[in-house]
Amino acid sequence: MSAIRPLCVAALILALPCLGRITLEAQIPRDPTPVVAKTSPTDIAAGKVLYEATCSKCHGLDGGGGDGPSLLGAPERLGDAEVGAIIRGGIPGTGMNGYGSLNIDETGQIVGYLRTLGRTVDTEIAKGDPAKGKSLYDASGCAACHIISGQGGGVGPELTRVGSMRGPTYLRTTLLTPGTNLPQEAAAMERGRFTQFLFVRVTTKEGHTVEGTRVYEDSFTIELKDATGRFHSFRKLELQKLEKLPGKSVMPSFKDTLSATQLDDLVAYLASLKGTPTP
Amino acid sequence: MRVMSLLTFLFPVALKRDSSTARPDPEIDKADFRERTRHRDASLRMTVAASVLGIATLGFAIPSLAQVPYERIVNADSEPANWLTYGGNYYDQRFSGLKQLTPQNVAGLKLAWAYQPSRPAGNVETSPVVVDGIMYVTEPPSTVTALDAHTGAKLWTWSPILHNVVAIGLFQTNRGVAVMDDRVYVATIDAHLVALDAKTGAVIWNTVVADNKMGYAITGPPLAFNGKIMIGTGGSEAAVRGLLDCYDAKTGKRLWRIWTVPLQGEPGSETWGDALPGGGTTWNAGAYDPKLNLVYWGTGNPAPDWNGDARPGSNLYTCALLAIDPDTGKVKWYFQFSPHETHDWDASEPPILFDATIKGKPRKLLGFANRNAFYYVLDRETGEFITGVPYAKQTWAKGLDAKGQPIVLPNTEPSPEGTLVFPSITGAINWTSNSYSPLTKLFYVDAREMGSYYVKSAPKWEPGKFPLGGGGERALSGDDAYGAIRALDATTGKMKWEFRLHSPSWVGTLATAGGLVFSGTDEGNFFALDAETGKPLWDIYLGSSLRSNPVSYAVDGKQYVFVTAGTTYFVFGLP
Repeated sequence: MSAIRPLCVAALILALPCLGRITLEAQIPRDPTPVVAKTSPTDIAAGKVLYEATCSKCHGLDGGGGDGPSLLGAPERLGDAEVGAIIRGGIPGTGMNGYGSLNIDETGQIVGYLRTLGRTVDTEIAKGDPAKGKSLYDASGCAACHIISGQGGGVGPELTRVGSMRGPTYLRTTLLTPGTNLPQEAAAMERGRFTQFLFVRVTTKEGHTVEGTRVYEDSFTIELKDATGRFHSFRKLELQKLEKLPGKSVMPSFKDTLSATQLDDLVAYLASLKGTPTP
Repeated sequence: MRVMSLLTFLFPVALKRDSSTARPDPEIDKADFRERTRHRDASLRMTVAASVLGIATLGFAIPSLAQVPYERIVNADSEPANWLTYGGNYYDQRFSGLKQLTPQNVAGLKLAWAYQPSRPAGNVETSPVVVDGIMYVTEPPSTVTALDAHTGAKLWTWSPILHNVVAIGLFQTNRGVAVMDDRVYVATIDAHLVALDAKTGAVIWNTVVADNKMGYAITGPPLAFNGKIMIGTGGSEAAVRGLLDCYDAKTGKRLWRIWTVPLQGEPGSETWGDALPGGGTTWNAGAYDPKLNLVYWGTGNPAPDWNGDARPGSNLYTCALLAIDPDTGKVKWYFQFSPHETHDWDASEPPILFDATIKGKPRKLLGFANRNAFYYVLDRETGEFITGVPYAKQTWAKGLDAKGQPIVLPNTEPSPEGTLVFPSITGAINWTSNSYSPLTKLFYVDAREMGSYYVKSAPKWEPGKFPLGGGGERALSGDDAYGAIRALDATTGKMKWEFRLHSPSWVGTLATAGGLVFSGTDEGNFFALDAETGKPLWDIYLGSSLRSNPVSYAVDGKQYVFVTAGTTYFVFGLP
């Protein structure tokens, strides 16, 4: 029996009168007016200034995350109105403060600027035939590993909205040499940090080797997803060898299996995948 | 029995005496310990009850019998079961004298209890004070809760009423309280300093430190000593003028204020050009040397952060350590680590005081692992620079000169296109506390190995609305960044060992007399290392980023270790 247990009872009795006065109004109430991204060059320039003054300290100048999560693709995933509501109202229970002092237009300018972040700079215009590309996608077994609009397997990244984030040059490079330009992913707090689709080869003390894409790593453990989509978990201190091989990928190259025209068609199809914001 | 307990609770003499005799030493056999304390408990409670009845009958004023008098905090090292200040003692050493947990048995640590605030509104970054079996923690943004340190049961909680808080460039969080006499002192996000009754959480006084509308906000712990409460504020990103205050512990009346940056025409203003000085805030913990009667407190970045064009000069007293006579509020000496700072490297880390022999002479020293990646050793009586070496990768200075001033390399200033410099904007360490073990003579730092592309732009400022940025960063990420727990020789800064972490962490270190160092990761691991070798001995995954300084305490002869992860407070002990 702890010596202080009787004290707890006494403390509770004494504390009762205080309980009624706890009020928290740290967050500014949300304004219901939906925010729409403002995307003219003037608005985006204004949004950049506002973003750098208000958001960049936590989310990074490039929106890739810092002390706060990455914002890359956030308007595409959540929609402008939701992102705007978060900027103005904050997220209670997190470090995300509300910025109710920003008006609707200023918030729209920030969302407009966010829409420009995280996209690979790509001036190329897809010249292939998206319809032919879709047939190639279906015939080449891509759907075994990638999901588009709910269809396919989850070994690789979902491609439902890939065309809104990646341009033809990036897509072609990935099809030819899949390990290059792996997506940067800084500080995705909710998912464990720095996974970056890195290719990893693990050798256990018994000499058993497992290869795959890193899906999680911390200071003591690492988790991989192999080419069949199966997860493997290891204690790092107990491994014989842990090799990180940037530039490699579990995805095969299509360099020798597709003609230049077929490649253009497939790229055109992928570039056409803009998805729709999740409601 | 209940009446007796209530009396014990109301009149702390019993608690105090209980604790001084019953102060659990884990070395003591538990059964024997309990036997002895039970007798003392009973006899003391009888005495107190009798005297209280006597007082009540005769109508005397109830004498003030403080539970945690100043003298008790001065001698905090003599009662390792308790954790009496933010940093464990006035020297901020974050060293626990408890020896029950050792490299041999630490692998057996198990969860003792967990506590979750009902409505945490922000990051949890609290570090508790533990007194006689009661733990005082804070919850974001500015709530104080007293917990039974043995079970996690909530005894009382207090929250300020907050309206439209202005928080620019900082998280709405709170890092801890100060306890002295029968009061708990806390500062709030809207920049108030509040004294609470330690038994009930009732407000004794509530003083406005500074105007939150201007961007002043407080997340750091007060420092309580000798009838005084000192507190600093944040807000450099809002370009407020930095200040450090001292209040009368009894009344909450301000005794003095130090402005950390001068007004035009005042001494030091010649280091600012024509700029209106701003920044130099004092948002983290200070340390105190009772014998020298000096308080040590670090100051933050000048404003605007990344664009120093408008403020030519060294910008005193930003990014500096101040040594203050608390009786007069005068700065006895200062040491500026990063003159004309443009990378957001506040000198806000809690300083650690320690004594050591250098070249055959006993010295009173101060160790400081700065956000700018250098570890400094200063003479804490005079401010004399003794040594300074990098403890993490840095690419901005060739080194330090004989006076400890940086020899800055060219092309390391922020630029419109971005200049890659190590350490990153969040620094080689940020707000977390280091620890020092008087047994190993090592200084344990959680180093952040990361660079940033520092970008310079035109500052934009509206008081209380927008931060005065002038730039920012693109952080190096992925596997280009990592963290490490490093053990430095406290007098030379030479690294004895390191333990690599997957990513830069935001967790302080705790050193124990049992020979352990505890820390955590941003990925969610809490772990113990061998204090002599850095060898990992125990770890557990807690499911969310750790963002607090671990502490250790004992109740009923059992040693516990506290840390938070996500918004949960965890306490571990041997089964």
